[in-house]
This record gives sequence, C-alpha cells and structure tokens, in this order.
Amino acid sequence: MTAASTNATAKRGMRLDSDKVLAAACVAIPLIGLTLFFLYPMATVFLRSITTADGSYGFANYTEVLASKGFWRATQNSMAMGVATTIVSVFLGFIIAHGLHRCAFRGKWMIRGVIVLPLLAPSLVQALGLIFLLGRNGLVSRAIGTEVDIYGFWGLLIANTLYALPQAVMIIGASLVLLDARTYEAAEVMGAKPSRQFRDLTLPAIFFALLNSAFVVFIITITDFGNAAVIGGDYSVLATEIYTQVIGLRNFNMGAVVGIMLLLPTVISYVIERQSMKRQQGRHATNVQRFVPSFYAKRDIPMAAACFAVVAMILAVIGVVIYASFVKLWPYNQSLTFKHFDITLAGGYDSLWITIAISLGAAAGGTFLIFLMALGLRRLSGGISQMVQVLAAMPAAVPGIVLGLAYILTFNSTSTPLYLLYGTAALIGIINFYHYHTQAFLTVMTGFRQFPMALEEAATTLGAGLGRTAVNVIAPFVAPMLVAVFFFLFMRSMVTLSAVVFLTTAKLDVAAVTIMRLDDAGLTSQAAAFSTCVMAVVCLALGGMKLAIILMTWAPQTSKEG
Amino acid sequence: MYLTVKNVTKRYGTFTALDDVSISIEQGEFVCLLGPSGCGKTTLLRLIAGLTDIDEGQVLLEDEVLSDVPARNRGFGIVFQSYSLFPSMTVAENIGYGLKIRNVPAAQINARVAELLEIVKLPHLANKFPGQLSGGQQQRIALARAIAVDPRVLLLDEPLSALDAKVRSSLRDEIRQLQRTLQIPTLMVTHDQEEALALADKIICMNHGVVVQAGTPEDLYYRPATRFVADFMGVSNLIPTEMVRREMPALLSQRPDAPDAQFDACIRPEKIQINADPRGSATIRSAGFLGNLTRYKLDSVFGEMMVEVHGPQRLTEGQKVSLQISPSDCTWVVNDSYEVPQ
Ligand SMILES: Nc1ncnc2c1ncn2[C@@H]1O[C@H](COP(=O)(O)OP(=O)(O)OP(=O)(O)O)[C@@H](O)[C@H]1O
Ligand SMILES: [Mg+2]
Repeated sequence: MTAASTNATAKRGMRLDSDKVLAAACVAIPLIGLTLFFLYPMATVFLRSITTADGSYGFANYTEVLASKGFWRATQNSMAMGVATTIVSVFLGFIIAHGLHRCAFRGKWMIRGVIVLPLLAPSLVQALGLIFLLGRNGLVSRAIGTEVDIYGFWGLLIANTLYALPQAVMIIGASLVLLDARTYEAAEVMGAKPSRQFRDLTLPAIFFALLNSAFVVFIITITDFGNAAVIGGDYSVLATEIYTQVIGLRNFNMGAVVGIMLLLPTVISYVIERQSMKRQQGRHATNVQRFVPSFYAKRDIPMAAACFAVVAMILAVIGVVIYASFVKLWPYNQSLTFKHFDITLAGGYDSLWITIAISLGAAAGGTFLIFLMALGLRRLSGGISQMVQVLAAMPAAVPGIVLGLAYILTFNSTSTPLYLLYGTAALIGIINFYHYHTQAFLTVMTGFRQFPMALEEAATTLGAGLGRTAVNVIAPFVAPMLVAVFFFLFMRSMVTLSAVVFLTTAKLDVAAVTIMRLDDAGLTSQAAAFSTCVMAVVCLALGGMKLAIILMTWAPQTSKEG
Repeated sequence: MYLTVKNVTKRYGTFTALDDVSISIEQGEFVCLLGPSGCGKTTLLRLIAGLTDIDEGQVLLEDEVLSDVPARNRGFGIVFQSYSLFPSMTVAENIGYGLKIRNVPAAQINARVAELLEIVKLPHLANKFPGQLSGGQQQRIALARAIAVDPRVLLLDEPLSALDAKVRSSLRDEIRQLQRTLQIPTLMVTHDQEEALALADKIICMNHGVVVQAGTPEDLYYRPATRFVADFMGVSNLIPTEMVRREMPALLSQRPDAPDAQFDACIRPEKIQINADPRGSATIRSAGFLGNLTRYKLDSVFGEMMVEVHGPQRLTEGQKVSLQISPSDCTWVVNDSYEVPQ
C-alpha cells in the first residue's frame, strides 16, 4: 500500500467521524431547545398543578377546581362552544371544499383568496368585525333597527367558525383532491348517478378528513383566547378562565390545574387526528388523475351561492374592521379620516415594530433549527430518529394559552438562570417558535422526504461531507419548503395572542395584545386601525413569500438557458 | 354493424384530437385501437363511452344514436390502465357495484360476484381492499367488475400496459379467452403492436387523430397501406421505387400507377430468401439470434436490409449472398410524407 492511499483511507475514516459528529450536533442542538423550552415548561406546569398552598404535592388543587362552579361552567361552555363550532365549521368547510374541487362555477379564485384571510389576522379581528357589524352600534343592528346581543354564545360561535373555517376547508379539500377521476368515470360507465357517486365514492373517501377536520376545529375552538376575550362577554370558557385565574387572581396553581384540564381533550384529539392522518396517507398512490368537474346546474348553482354567501360574510367581517379604522366616529359620523391610526395608548406603534422584529427572529432561528434537525434525522438510526420525531410533533397538542402559562411559571422563577430570559423579546420569539414547532417541522420533513436519497449518496460518493452536501445539494432542493416555513412562522408570530398574552409586560407588548388592550380601553376604532396595520404587514409578507417561491422555482430554468 | 362511429371530430381548443374518424365493431368482435402515444386513442374510447362530448359526428349502437345518452345509461363496461377500483369498497363490493345500482337482489349479486371471481381466478380475494392487491390482480378485478353487468360493449384503455411482461401476457390470453366465450364486442386501446396482433379480430391503426388503416392483423402486417403502418406493425424493409426499378423490376408488377415518390416497396424480413452465393449482390453484416429464428443485417443494393430466417445461424459475417423476393410478397405502401401535387 502506498503512502498516498493510506493517507486517503485515514482521511475517509476521519470524514466519516466528523460527519457523525455533525449529524449528532444537528439533532442535539434543536433537541436541547425542545427540552428547555417545551418539555421543561410543560413539566413545570404539571408540577405546579399538584403543588398545594403549603408547598407539598397533592391533588388538592384539582379537588378545589373540580368543586368550583366557575370551572364547571367554563368547561361546559367550552365543550358546548367546541361542539357547536365544530358542527357548523365542518359543514360549511365541506360545502366550500366540495364547491372548490367538485363543482364547476366561476370566481373560485375569490373563494380561495378570501377563505384564508382569517389566518392572516389576529383571531380577535373576527370578534371586532362582528361587533362593528352586529354590536350595539353595528351597521346591521342600526340598519334593521333592532339590537342584537352579539356578546356571548352566538357572537363567539360565529367568530370561532370564521376563524376555524380555513383549516376545515384545507383539510377536507386536500382529501377531495386525492380522489381519482378514473374511479368516477368507472362508476359513471357502470350506471351510477351523480348522487349515488357522491354517496358511494366521495363520502367514504373523505370520511377521515371530515373526522380529522372536526378534531382540528374542536381544538382550535376550545383553546382560542382572542375571540373569547373580545366577544365572549359573560360566556366564560376554559381559555378565559385560565387568564382570569392567573392575571386577575394571581392564582398560578389553579391556573395550572385548568391548563392541565384543557390539555386533556386537546391531547386526545391530537392523538386520534394523527392516527387517522396515517391511515389516510397509507391509502393513496401518487399517480392521481385530477377530476375536472363539468357544469351541472342543479348542483352548481346552489353550491356556488352557498360558497359565495360564506365568503361574503368573511369579507364583510374583516372588511368592516378595515373600514371602521378609517371612519371618524363609528357609527355616527361616517366621514373618513386617518386619526385612529394615531395610537393614543402608551407606546403607540412600538409593539408593532417589536412584533415584526420578534417574528423575523422566530422565523429565521426556527427555520434554521428545524433544517438542522431534519438534516440530522436523515443520518440517525431508526429508533432515536423515531423518538425525536414524536417529540418534535408534540407541541401541536398543547394549546397556546397553556404553553404561555407554562412559560410564565418556568421563566418567572428565579431558581434557574433561565430567569434572565423573562421579560425579553427573545422569550416571546422562542415561545412563538415552539408553539408552532409541529407544523413547521412536519412541512420541512415532507420536503426532506421528497429529496431523493440517491442524490445525497451521489454527493457523498463524490467526496462531499454532510456539511457540504447540506449546503450545496439539500438546501437548494428544500429551499421553497424552507421559505414557506419561514413565512409561516413569521405570520403566526405576527398574529398569535394566546401564547404570548402571559409574557408581555408593561414595557414589552406585542401587536395582538395591544389590540386587545385598545379594545379593553374602549378605543375600538384604534383597535381596528392597529389590526389593519398588522394585516397589512402580514399580507405584504404573504406577497413576499409567493414572489420568493415563484422566483425560486423559475430561476433555475432561466439560468440554464443563459 | 353493431357499434358505429361516424365521421367524429373532437377538438381541444385549436388542437384537433380526432379528425373525421369512422370505425365500426361487429357483434362479438375484438377490435384493437393501435397507434403511437398522443394519437387520440383514449379520446376516441372516451367518446364512445360517453365520458367526453363529441364536436361533430355521431356514435351509433345498432340503430340507436348514442349522442344524447349519458355514459351511465349506455350499459357499457370500461377498464382503465390503472387506479380505477373504488378504494373504499372491497373487491366483492367493487364487482357487485354495477348490479347494486341496477337494484339486483343481494343474493343474486353475491352469486354473480362469486362466479366472476372464479372466472378471473381470484376467489380468495373477495374481502380484500384494492390497496392490498397487486397491479395484475387489480386489473383482473377491474375486468370482472366491467363484465359483471353483461355490458353491451366492453372498452379497455391499455389495461395491460402498467403490468410487467409476464403478468401481461398471461392476462392478455385470459382477456382473449373470456371475450371469445362471452362474445362481448370489445374495443381495446393499445400502443403495443404485438398485443394487437395477438388479440384482435380487427386492428384500427391511428396516427395524428385520423384512422390510417383498419383491417385484420394479417392485412395490416402483410398489406400495410402506408409507410407509417408498415413501420408501426413491426420490422420491414422499405425501398424507394426507383431503386426497385433499377435492381429488381419484377417486383413492380403489383405497383399502383402513381408517381415514383408516392409509393415505396415494403417487404417483411421473413419474406426474403437468402442463399450463400459468392457472386451475390449482398453481404451479411451481422447476425442476431432470436430463439427459433435468426435475424441478419445485410448490406445490399437496396441499402441496409433486414432478413429473418428460421433455424440457427448458417451464414457468417462478410459472406456474399443472393436475394430472392417474390412479387406477391412485395407490398406497395403510401409514403406518408409524400404530398399529392395539386
Ligand atoms: N382534456 C384535454 N384537453 C386538451 N388536450 C387533450 C385533452 N385530452 C387529450 N388531449 C390531447 O389530445 C391528443 C390525444 O390524446 P389521447 O389521450 O387520446 O392520446 P392517446 O392516443 O390515448 O395517447 P397515449 O397512448 O399516450 O395514451 C393528445 O395530444 C392530448 O394532448
Ligand atoms: Mg391513452
């Protein structure tokens, strides 16, 4: 053996080692993050829930909470609200998804565009809009001359439905897209009428999607805080109950108990949802022939009418907020003005700028960490990788308000150096990232799964180490996915309220909380103006993302020609 | 005439997918629709099934005009290339679905399903779901499902092309046998000429949205009408007229009276006899062993030629040979690229 080849062998051995170390580090760093900022706070909130007033452990808090009338009423209300919203949202979501994918009519782009609007605004915007429309001084109330009492069950039901509807439409729509046109043609040739095809083919195929969307909507509803805080009125739900216990009564242990109670249904729903997702995925081949509906008046005219009615409602609720932010004196003087954009609350627009900074940080840091994690997972053995994936997918089961509570219990305690983070913008960025960790993680993993192993192996055979492969080969391939995740994290951080509501201080506010405070202070028009600004930022970001993705998918082709 | 397609035209925007197409299928006949990818085979099949609207022309079943009959009332059976079983129904439910729609009593459906499962040799799969079956099994079930209702016409769109070679040839034979026993008029789309030759009573060869030639497999193979058909139906030697006139004028006896460039001679490789002859005009360039026959490539006065001879290789590379072609084995085919002068 010559000296040169010995040298090469030695080098290869080292390369292998350094790759392993790098892969381990890729997983270890995000894993430490998950432990510190997810597992540890969740353990803390659980411990606090079983810490009694005298400092010993026991279930006294639970018996106390279970004995309190307020808790039972909030639970009952939450469940009633959850069930009602689920029924309405899944029904409407099905109509819209079916209209989009299985019916033929014009203007679908409008439905697609409007249906996602509620996701681009803080959840309390729906509530604000409803108040502008149906509240005491609402447009509709004044037009028909009777006073509707919008605060309470019905208002909250409508607001929650509008908020949950996009998710329902997306989940049901995704399953409708997967139905192969050929099975319908086969049924047609065999003599099945459209109604029969619907019953025998469509319904069984989307059953799991309906179930799945029901769970998702249910979780969103019982954990949402913004709508309940603004339009719930006396109708207390678990999310507002936690807020009252912690912020109003400074009763942290009781808050922790309610938080753990709220965790139960969401964890159960989440587990069932994941299971049904797995079944759904296993069943489908990739080679799907898209169904192209042709016009059928009896079906399409009523469906189009229903879809546009719902869309009009969403547009009205969000549009009225934007409109109201320009109106001089709602509802008496409808002349237009910019004066509400002059925020009088202490701090003014500071919170908007800080929120943008926090969101950019959460998005950049989060995307990077998740990329590292997905990269490392590719090189890890099955067992460990499985465990990490389960852990990474867990945060979605935790309601934002519970995570927020867990953070304040963890980081507001001087017993660990983590206390240094308390009251900083960094912590808000961190909680936003871990709050939406699951969705971001799953998106990137999907991208990685599509990346052909052969390409990676080719790079390795050519002598590229993990680091080089990641930068030169993998990153460009998953780039569109990373951009999507970046903007997802950015947009959610811009509008989320429930997770951060506990972490803001007199000196540090975020946009959604400012809107809530403005509304609380009776400055409804300024709340609307502030909401308009937030929506504008988010829409710009969305436009930026679309542009970035278009440029990315388009650039390689043009550069090849040049 | 059982099923007739009369002067049918179909356009997608400015693109004409079918241009004045007329075909017919007799009672009990097995017809193959053959042509290269994108020539409009699937489009024609879908028009007959009623799954796509016709722009011009009509489809007739005996004397009934089908244009206004929706697909579901035509009483046809269809099998697609793949993925057309209902994923949420078991195999038995899939097969019985057409009968269920026709409100046949459950007991009768069960009996029929059992019978069909026997016919396609998969009785043990009755309660499985499509996702649990192999490609070949899925296509057998799709076939059983299509014939369960005693269809008036059976339409098959490349039912075998997604399968591997072995499964394909066994299923091919089964389809043929089944069709013979049941006597269902059948139209099968394929782009595999061997499949068409093996199965069909009649082959309809299409190109660029028009029917180029229709006839028995022998017709299309030995008497192709155009260069395109000759090429598509297997290996052939295509020789320009002036070369034939110069080297083997005897072959011109069957030639239609037309300009030189309009017709070329077409001679199948197995119709040429070669004999070792030191003074021969052709030289063996290479030989390939194809099992029961040997294929020689020759350099000849006609340029490169292909000859097939039964039995093992007898001639060696570089050997001189003489060619013998009988005028009856020389077919004159239209040169597709030739444009008739105005
Ligand atoms: N819905 C459609 N819209 C526009 N063009 C179409 C449509 N369907 C088919 N075509 C075009 O019509 C032509 C014929 O298509 P068809 O599917 O009939 O081909 P084919 O002969 O079945 O080909 P293959 O062997 O690849 O299946 C193709 O050029 C195709 O692009
Ligand atoms: Mg086809």
